[in-house]
Amino acid sequence: MSENFRSIETKFLDKTNRISFKYNGKKYYGYKGDTLASALLSNGVHLIGRSFKYHRPRGIMTCGSEEPNAIVQIGGNGSFTEPNVRATEQEIYEGLEASSQNCWPSVEFDIGGINNFISPVIPSGFYYKTFMWPKKFWYSLYEPAIRMSAGLGKSPTQPDPELYDHNHLHCDVLVVGGGISGIIAASISADNGNNTVLIDDKNSLGGSSIYQNNENFKIDDEISSIWLDKKIKELKNKKNLTIKRRTSLAAFHSYNYLLARENLADHKSLDKRLNKLRQRLWKIRAKKVILATGAIERPLIFNNNDRPGVMLANSVKKYIDYYGVRCGDKNIIFTNNDSAYETAISLNKKGINVSIVDIRNNSSSILVKNAKDAGIKIYWNNTVVNTKGYRKIKSIQIMEMSKDGTNVVGKKTNLPCDNLSISGGWTPMVHLFTQSGGKLKFRDSDQIFLPNTEMSDQISVGSCNGDFELDDVIKNTVSECKNFISTSVTDYDSLKVSCPKQKENKNIWLLPNDKPLGKTKPFLDFQNDSTAKDIKLAMREGFKSIEHVKRYTTTGMGTDQGKLANMHALGIISETAGVKMGSLGTTTFRPPYTPLTFGTIVGRNVGTFFDITRKTPIHEWHKNHKAEFENVGQWKRAWYYPKDGESMHQAVQRESKAARESAGILDASTLGKIDIKGTDASEFLNRVYTNAWSKLGIGKCRYGLMLNEDGMVYDDGVTTRLDENHYVMTTTTGGAANVLSKLEDYLQTEWPELDVWLTSVTDHYATASVCGPNSKNILKKLFPILEFNDGNFPHMSFKNTELDGINCRIMRISFTGEHSYEINIESKYGKSLWEKCMDAGKEFNITPYGTETMHLLRAEKGFIIVGQDTDGTMTPIDLQMDWIVSKKKYDFIGKRSLYRSDTMREDRKQLVGLLTDNPNEILEEGAQIVQDEKKQPIEMLGHVTSSYFSPNLNRSIALAVVKNGKNLKGQKLLVPMKDKTINVTVSDFIFFDSKNERLNA
Amino acid sequence: MLNINFPKIEKKDYPNLELNLVEPIHKLNLRGKNRDFFTKAGRILSIMLPTEPNTSATIKSISALWLSPDEWMIYGKDIDKNLMLSLDSEISKLNLGSVTDVSDQWVLINMRGKNVFEVLSKGSPFDFNKFKDTKNVTVQTLLNHVDVILHQNDTNNLDLFVRKSFSEHLWLWINDSSRSL
Repeated sequence: MSENFRSIETKFLDKTNRISFKYNGKKYYGYKGDTLASALLSNGVHLIGRSFKYHRPRGIMTCGSEEPNAIVQIGGNGSFTEPNVRATEQEIYEGLEASSQNCWPSVEFDIGGINNFISPVIPSGFYYKTFMWPKKFWYSLYEPAIRMSAGLGKSPTQPDPELYDHNHLHCDVLVVGGGISGIIAASISADNGNNTVLIDDKNSLGGSSIYQNNENFKIDDEISSIWLDKKIKELKNKKNLTIKRRTSLAAFHSYNYLLARENLADHKSLDKRLNKLRQRLWKIRAKKVILATGAIERPLIFNNNDRPGVMLANSVKKYIDYYGVRCGDKNIIFTNNDSAYETAISLNKKGINVSIVDIRNNSSSILVKNAKDAGIKIYWNNTVVNTKGYRKIKSIQIMEMSKDGTNVVGKKTNLPCDNLSISGGWTPMVHLFTQSGGKLKFRDSDQIFLPNTEMSDQISVGSCNGDFELDDVIKNTVSECKNFISTSVTDYDSLKVSCPKQKENKNIWLLPNDKPLGKTKPFLDFQNDSTAKDIKLAMREGFKSIEHVKRYTTTGMGTDQGKLANMHALGIISETAGVKMGSLGTTTFRPPYTPLTFGTIVGRNVGTFFDITRKTPIHEWHKNHKAEFENVGQWKRAWYYPKDGESMHQAVQRESKAARESAGILDASTLGKIDIKGTDASEFLNRVYTNAWSKLGIGKCRYGLMLNEDGMVYDDGVTTRLDENHYVMTTTTGGAANVLSKLEDYLQTEWPELDVWLTSVTDHYATASVCGPNSKNILKKLFPILEFNDGNFPHMSFKNTELDGINCRIMRISFTGEHSYEINIESKYGKSLWEKCMDAGKEFNITPYGTETMHLLRAEKGFIIVGQDTDGTMTPIDLQMDWIVSKKKYDFIGKRSLYRSDTMREDRKQLVGLLTDNPNEILEEGAQIVQDEKKQPIEMLGHVTSSYFSPNLNRSIALAVVKNGKNLKGQKLLVPMKDKTINVTVSDFIFFDSKNERLNA
Repeated sequence: MLNINFPKIEKKDYPNLELNLVEPIHKLNLRGKNRDFFTKAGRILSIMLPTEPNTSATIKSISALWLSPDEWMIYGKDIDKNLMLSLDSEISKLNLGSVTDVSDQWVLINMRGKNVFEVLSKGSPFDFNKFKDTKNVTVQTLLNHVDVILHQNDTNNLDLFVRKSFSEHLWLWINDSSRSL
């Protein structure tokens, strides 16, 4: 039976709702509203995990997102398991299972604890030096060993069954942080008619003020927490205000674009989460942002300051005042400021034993007077020099400090305790401000970084802006918000606020000790186990910049991103190097502010929605006929149609033979189609294509090559002249959208004088491409009234006709080298058209073929595919397509670049054919081509762009781009592969029917 | 006879959200910018083409959606082949502008109910705060990374146009997003 540390009643927990949960296999109880941390503390559990490097026992240190130690594994081994969850943020639910991380066999006895004993030989940066030699040990020993010990927690091995989504949110004012300043800011904003959103990462609003019951803090003669509670209730009735609890701002990007994660179900038991959203990522666009992110308490840096039971003072206050949990029965508070006295007074009022060690000589604060009056023992001008206790703190040793604070004097005093609450002052949370591009300034008086220059329409209010006393927080928040919202009157203008004022400050980044630094362990970064001596070591090694020290020591590189550590690291560097702290700057604050789950980042873009898919109107037919599909851009294109267990190779061989010997049919609906109208349409085509268009007759088609302004091939396709001022252009499947945008851009910006109108009709038409010697016979059956002789319907021409009364447009064009027709029809009839073609072609063994066969057939003919045989560095001349570049035209896009010395070089990579010496050997696409394997360094001449086995030639063929390829015809080259070198001969890139006899067959 | 096939989209009901396929329905793309173009288009359609960005005009059951300063989408049950031919012969053929049949380019899905914008905001970066309270507004935006045209006929009654090839995917996404309403 665990001890009950729940001392007092609290309104923040639902005592009627008792919850059981398991920690390291043992059952405990807490209440609804408890975090895992508060519930464990209420059961007397402090030891939560082991530190990363030295495997030292560690306990709960804080009560929020800055927690460096209490990070646990949630869930068992199933798909719901999640590592690195902060116990201070995880609300308990019925059936919650949590376990310690980074320990084996248990957190109580961890074999890795040996690291603590060998710590003198594994200082910071030892791995950079140690693992350099011997070289062969890297793969066999070092890397496996490092990998085994790396990381915290266990990743789930099964897919995440939970649901996540994304949502966009637009507001006038976003207020980040639901503490007292955030609540006032949100209230002022909403009262002035602004669509306001207030987000806070906790399950209830109010920040630390909501449990501030100290009578010295009053607003309008009410204790501040009572006043604030009323204000929170009033917020709920404000029309313009949306409040999002359990919502943590993850990132603050430029132009007030912010990302926030809302926890919707993490506090619910698994059975209540079934098919419900777990987390949502809000993508927020705010016209104005008010940051009220508060401040976090600083620890103090002294020897062995990391034992379980060493906690931040304000967190101890929250546990007693908010959760009703005492963190110990013999409490000692170690501080350099007055705020920790609030904790002492709270504990004392609940009858809990507490004493104070203060590094200052005195303080005139009313809080200190209250503490003295309450009989709390205060050790002035003392510092803690050591702590004792392995799995939990048992005692501390204190010593008096010298006048200048650099040393300790006198004798050690032992003080028994089971909790040490430490407070080193406060650090404003400026992470989000700096993420947005804001610049910081340094305030010497209390050694903090503060927002200085904003890069977007935003302000920071409250303690994140350096106001730590209640009257300053309220007065300055109201004043800043009035300016920001542009209002002159608010409900908060005449508030009467009273609070203690701190006058005596004393800050020492690294507290003095009676032992030399090398004999102590004063931790800075509790998560990454870096100590003050590591920082000093880094500086001795020559690292001066905070960014370098960070990387050498790993300070601030844990999942808490050094929220507690960074300021002390800066302070120690500044003191050691003798430079002003403000001049050092900070490390970069990168998003996310707290870790995000992958699920939240991905949202619903998983499974079916991983990527967008486009389907042709004939897709269902392909699916019903067992087609395998390939992704082309976002399109799902039929790849090949395996029959009777055929492999892809077998299917492609069958399909391509059928297309050459009788008839094949391809779904070509994916080709981009742009309708072009206007009196300047011909001139427009002259400018965008390399060849001439003015003389193309109505009813004729022409192939065109489009270049970028750099002269490189950008897209290609056949354009048909439908009428005097009317064309339809086809583009590559993947290039359609970009080509349309590019052409529209030219029309709007470069050639506004042209009377040309573009409209995308890609999806309006379905296209069935019928090819092969029997294609004409099939078309004749489908369109009996149409004359298909070469005179009436020659190659590169089109006809408008009807199929069962529905308009069709038939182009006689070919991408296979065969006699071919492309039938275009309104896409709602696409599937029916395809089925008609299949019926009509049955007697000719019409064979549907996919993109793989299409690629093979066109490669036999040496037809390029833009994007496969080109890569943005190929000119038409490189492709040996000089014939398509008009010498007469005044201009076209890319013309000037074709005459640059570099694009005219003879030894550029040029398109060639490759034939392997062994006709059955198929080259790998992408394989490098060389001439001399022995030459060092080996010279890469080019690479294979397309490679197939051609059943029609009964041998392998390949296209390649090779340096000076035009002049290498007949020459032997080498294609080195992993296990062999393949001998090839450079050939013409047209392998089949070089005289184009089959087009008119 | 050739059969007609539309994407696999069937009527669906969710809490405060009703989804319907509205096909077949004629859709035209109109482009032009000179005075004669506006006059002819207005006369034939009996609609003054809207020139205010992101607005629409509706007469009877024909709507004209502003897409850009020189581009409109015309759609509605009252559009027939004769009207299309008339526009083509008096605008395209006379080189006043361009008239293109895009009936099969776009698929029209009607969304109605209080939760329309709840669903849209899951996948669209557009700010619907003002849009949702305004009738006869239109916008071209992205929904789950897919280009769409939205036209609000009435409060919480919206026509969504999506390119046919994307329509089944977007339909699945809309249904997936609606299940968490």
